[in-house]
Amino acid sequence: MKKPGCLALLATLFLFPAAAQAAPEKETQLIEKGRYLAAASDCAACHTHDSRHPYAGGNPFLLPIGTLYAPNITPDRKAGIGDYTEADFSNALRRGIGKGGKPLYPAMPFPSYARMSDADIHALWAYFHNDVAPDPASVPANKIPWPLSMRWPMTLWRIAFAPTPAEARKSAERHFPSQETARGAYLVEGPGHCGACHTPRAITFQEKALSSDGNDLYLSGGAAVDGWTPVNLRQDNRTGLGRWREEDIVAFLETGRNLHGSAFGGMTDAIVHGTQHLTDQDLRAIAHYLKTSLPARKGEAPWTYDPAVAKALQQGTLPDKGARLYVDRCAACHRTDGHGYAPAFPPLAGNPVVMNPDPGSLILIVLRGSTLPPTEQAPSPFTMPGFASLMSDRDVAEVVTFIRRSWGNNARVVTQDDVRTFRKHNGQWIDDKPPSPMNRASSPRENAP
Amino acid sequence: MTASSSSRRRFVRNAAGTTALALIPYQGRPAHAGTSEAAVPFEPVFFTPAELEFLSAACERIFPQDDLGPGAVALGVPFFIDRQMDTPYGKGELWYLSGPFHEGPPQLGYQLPFAPRDLYRKGIAAADAYARQRRGRKFSGLSANDQIDLLTAFEGGGVQFPELNARMFFEQLRRNTLEGVFADPVYGGNRAMQGWTLLGFPGARADFMDWVDQNGAPYPFGPVSLARQPL
Ligand code: HEC
Ligand code: HEC
Ligand code: HEC
Repeated sequence: MKKPGCLALLATLFLFPAAAQAAPEKETQLIEKGRYLAAASDCAACHTHDSRHPYAGGNPFLLPIGTLYAPNITPDRKAGIGDYTEADFSNALRRGIGKGGKPLYPAMPFPSYARMSDADIHALWAYFHNDVAPDPASVPANKIPWPLSMRWPMTLWRIAFAPTPAEARKSAERHFPSQETARGAYLVEGPGHCGACHTPRAITFQEKALSSDGNDLYLSGGAAVDGWTPVNLRQDNRTGLGRWREEDIVAFLETGRNLHGSAFGGMTDAIVHGTQHLTDQDLRAIAHYLKTSLPARKGEAPWTYDPAVAKALQQGTLPDKGARLYVDRCAACHRTDGHGYAPAFPPLAGNPVVMNPDPGSLILIVLRGSTLPPTEQAPSPFTMPGFASLMSDRDVAEVVTFIRRSWGNNARVVTQDDVRTFRKHNGQWIDDKPPSPMNRASSPRENAP
Repeated sequence: MTASSSSRRRFVRNAAGTTALALIPYQGRPAHAGTSEAAVPFEPVFFTPAELEFLSAACERIFPQDDLGPGAVALGVPFFIDRQMDTPYGKGELWYLSGPFHEGPPQLGYQLPFAPRDLYRKGIAAADAYARQRRGRKFSGLSANDQIDLLTAFEGGGVQFPELNARMFFEQLRRNTLEGVFADPVYGGNRAMQGWTLLGFPGARADFMDWVDQNGAPYPFGPVSLARQPL
């Protein structure tokens, strides 16, 4: 038998080069870790405006004081952060201080990134410094008029409201019931900066809590971003994730859809650039951690399905104009029983998004439409058409009220005035048409390279 | 073109009755499609005013108003065809219009170098000339019966216009008229979905899931358009 000899030969052939490459491999591992953390931190959602120019910035942020553009963070010396040291990089991420002491606006979520460990910042640095391609694309100048363009007030803001990295680390290292909860908390409160959208903010713009250690407001639902309202992620039965199992949360973060709902608005970016790239283990940790929260609103009556409306519609009775509009315009996809064809067309019955106290997202999705994003695990995009040209403010109010009142949802009525006011303040988001097979070039971010 | 208008209309109606679902008019909306609407004036983008006169008269003869509902003019068909001639279809961009051209069996396909809009321009001029020559007046000035006589002659294939057989023109006009009666109102015809109401056709719904297992139950919902609903 020659076999053992062959094996030995094979072993030396393979082992020898492996040993010789040990150092670069460690470097590669570090870079891979950094790439993974960049996804977990969703850096691309803000710093990649055009997918042909990864991390070259240009994403506009419409702040009350003017328009801020996310900078180019590729290692280009002139346009990007090529002249940053690792300490500069760490200061920008965790303390909100740019090179040369420039205080950053909290549109960059440094109050959350402050929780990140030295090791993770080091890996991110290795990735951005050594693997991301330098891109000379420059970003438009911020459109913030003087004196609001002065940055020194941001220093005061930071001192008043942002945690120092030491404080943040202390909170991140608090006691958890298990390793898994600890990991989930780290991902959600730190790199994932989920609270930046999902936690309400004070009038001075800081998040009212930066961790579940803070208070029950953490992740209890934030203010609208680009017209879309981030919902409550606590354990409320109707308006939170109380009825979602851990597997449901994992499926949502991995594929943008599950049997309870589909992602839209800012959540699309968070999934496409972020959570879909996480390992199953990390997604399970996030889900597990989210399930440990308490409800934000006390005594929300549990949702149960009420078949009355579905029965009426199936017999051809239309109780009101909202029902009529629903049967004419929505039921083909969401069905008269409100169960939809999940996960392709989301259910509206029992969907926390539909029962959210703030109906803004519902008005916007009916006016504008939306495309469920393709992800690696679920590559089919599904499009809901917009109805802005077909429905009056009154129609929108009636149909949104219908979905909020039917199937046991029992949420607050939406009036014509609500729709009119929403339209007045959100015109730009209504006109920002979703990408669809018919309308591909509408968003530069969706342009494949 | 010899059958009387109302019997032809009844035929259209009965044809719809042969579908598996029994379609009844939408609750809350009149069963009758309504007859009193007048034509809405509009600014043509393709036809000249003289051509539009011919078009209105001719399509109204093909789909006349009667006791069951409005005719082509009240349904907005001239407007529909005018806008249709301004599309890639109207401009012949969807058809093969190069030679060689051979007269032959129908399966050889269309054998003229003319786009739909050319068929109208040449056809209307020739049809009005024919009307003047045979009856002493342009087509729209003739009585309804004379108009029907002429259209019947065009349909029969025995009339040769200078550049095409009158039958080609008639077929184009007939097809586009019915499209204007029954296409979604979003395209300009079938005003207020009255063409669909005549048929009991439910329009752009694409969803009958609740009804597939309700055997024999009448379908209660009236038509839906891609355009804003008239309510
Ligand atoms: C929610 C949006 C958002 C996310 C997510 C985000 N950034 Fe930023 N970032 C910004 C904005 C906006 C600025 C500019 C702030 C300013 O000009 O005050 C910025 C600034 C920076 C700067 C400072 C650049 C300079 O010009 O000094 C660096 C470095 C940076 N980000 C890196 C990152 C990295 C790395 C990640 C992921 C770990 C990330 N950012 C995630 C929005 C974001
Ligand atoms: C052609 C199918 C289709 C039609 C018609 C349609 N929708 Fe949708 N709807 C969708 C799809 C697909 C989504 C998911 C979009 C996304 O995730 O970006 C959706 C999402 C929604 C949502 C958010 C729920 C969630 O979890 O994502 C609401 C609310 C909604 N639709 C209401 C309506 C109403 C009201 C109408 C009628 C006025 C309507 N839809 C018509 C396909 C449709
Ligand atoms: C850019 C803002 C933004 C960020 C960042 C963000 N979300 Fe969301 N999220 C939203 C919005 C808006 C919705 C409501 C629309 C929807 O259901 O997709 C949402 C919905 C959700 C839902 C579905 C809730 C429901 O009832 O349908 C889950 C779960 C969720 N987010 C988890 C997370 C997690 C975990 C993170 C951090 C990794 C995160 N989100 C970060 C904006 C954001």
